[in-house]
Amino acid sequence: MIDFHTHTPAWNTVSWLGGATFGADEFVEFMDATGIDRAVVLSHDGLFNPTPQANDELAAFVRKHPDRLTGFGTVTPRDPNAVAETERMFGELGLKGMKLHPWLQGFSLHEPALDPICEVVQGAGGVLLSHDGTPPYSTPSQLAALARRHPRLPVVLGHGGLHDLWREALAMIQETPNLYLCICGTPPYAARTILAEAPPHKVLFGTDAGLSDKASQDYAVARVREIDGWGITPEQRHAMLVENPARLLDAA
Amino acid sequence: MIIDAHVRIGPGRSAALDVAGLTATMDRLGVDRALVAPGEYATAWDNRAGNDLTTTAAAASGGRLVAYAVANPWAGADAVAELARARDLGARALSVDPALQGFDLLDGLVDPLLAFAQESGWLVYVRTGTPPHAVPLPLASLARRWPELSFVMGRSGATDFWIDAAPALRHAPNLYGDTCYAPWDTVLSEFARDPEIGAGRLVFSTDAPYTAPEAELARITGWPIPDDDRVAVLGGTLARLLG
Repeated sequence: MIDFHTHTPAWNTVSWLGGATFGADEFVEFMDATGIDRAVVLSHDGLFNPTPQANDELAAFVRKHPDRLTGFGTVTPRDPNAVAETERMFGELGLKGMKLHPWLQGFSLHEPALDPICEVVQGAGGVLLSHDGTPPYSTPSQLAALARRHPRLPVVLGHGGLHDLWREALAMIQETPNLYLCICGTPPYAARTILAEAPPHKVLFGTDAGLSDKASQDYAVARVREIDGWGITPEQRHAMLVENPARLLDAA
Repeated sequence: MIIDAHVRIGPGRSAALDVAGLTATMDRLGVDRALVAPGEYATAWDNRAGNDLTTTAAAASGGRLVAYAVANPWAGADAVAELARARDLGARALSVDPALQGFDLLDGLVDPLLAFAQESGWLVYVRTGTPPHAVPLPLASLARRWPELSFVMGRSGATDFWIDAAPALRHAPNLYGDTCYAPWDTVLSEFARDPEIGAGRLVFSTDAPYTAPEAELARITGWPIPDDDRVAVLGGTLARLLG
């Protein structure tokens, strides 16, 4: 099973989320206890301060278990060094994707500054994953528009439209060939409908682990357990948890 | 005593629940009582059929189900008349949904319905989330205009307006948070440890049929809080609000 949406602890940021501190070994213990073989790990500090330091610390975290943890870095798109930092992420740091959070990081997905960054991600064979599901700056249609500008770049809706935009998210992955959807915080009835109606190779799953007050990541454990109550087929479950994420990550 | 503060029965988009399915789930999970609201179709459009469904279910349940009534605020006096009809049939609470019913919480349209709820001693459930006219803080301002009413902040702004739920709960003491979808180890614990909020301001709901109800209940039974707090969240507070 591959968890396509997890976070490191926040080492340098105080936010509205409390959040426990944990090491990479502890995180892998949580994964073992939950049946997660591999995880895409995103910076937590980088949500708020997308700095090279955040990428360095993320890279150091995933480097401790390179067979289990895959890091996606982040940048401030308008920063003059953003393209160079993107190149460093995929080169020196060995990261495999880019994570964007438009409403926390404060930009629109339509800004031209994103284009050379996306070209670097695509050239490196990486994946772009963005927060979605939250108006005004993180809607699935906005992310689909970015995906249309970069049709060979795999782009992932990080939250499957959440509660109020999941139908839009489903429609966008149906009409946009290079757009994928990670069910993460998406309600169960929406997950069931998405899996029934989406192109079967396009749906992923994530727990958002890493933000918990407990190193044991209790809500993430509950989210994995909750899949049993979604009412999906074994084939849908296997595609979402194993085949689809492996295909995207192994190409990266 | 476990009371589920909100489920919807009847037709809806992508999910639907009937009374037999609801009571089977309640039996399986040990839920004693549930407040049943009409489904999406009836909330948005066919209010009368929805109120017939919930009040009929409640009347046949021996007190196990409690009926919400709905009425689209745009219907004006007819909406209040429909609520009166539902009250005569046994409805005991009001459910409103600004996204499905197309109004702004502070535009005045819903106030005649709130006046009726106050006159009737009803609890008021308001569905919140990320639609800009259904976010938590305007609901808190509405609640302050109606200090004698008790409001449940349905879904507590899930998910990205969970951030606004705490300031909303602090702003309006007659506003109560809803536990559905909210992890205890991030969101709910923040509410519980806030001296201006506390676990006593949270009510448990499964929000069926949109959820896996067993996961919603497990999240509360697995939450490491004092037993008194858990009793309040699972039904004690709601029982008091229902009178």
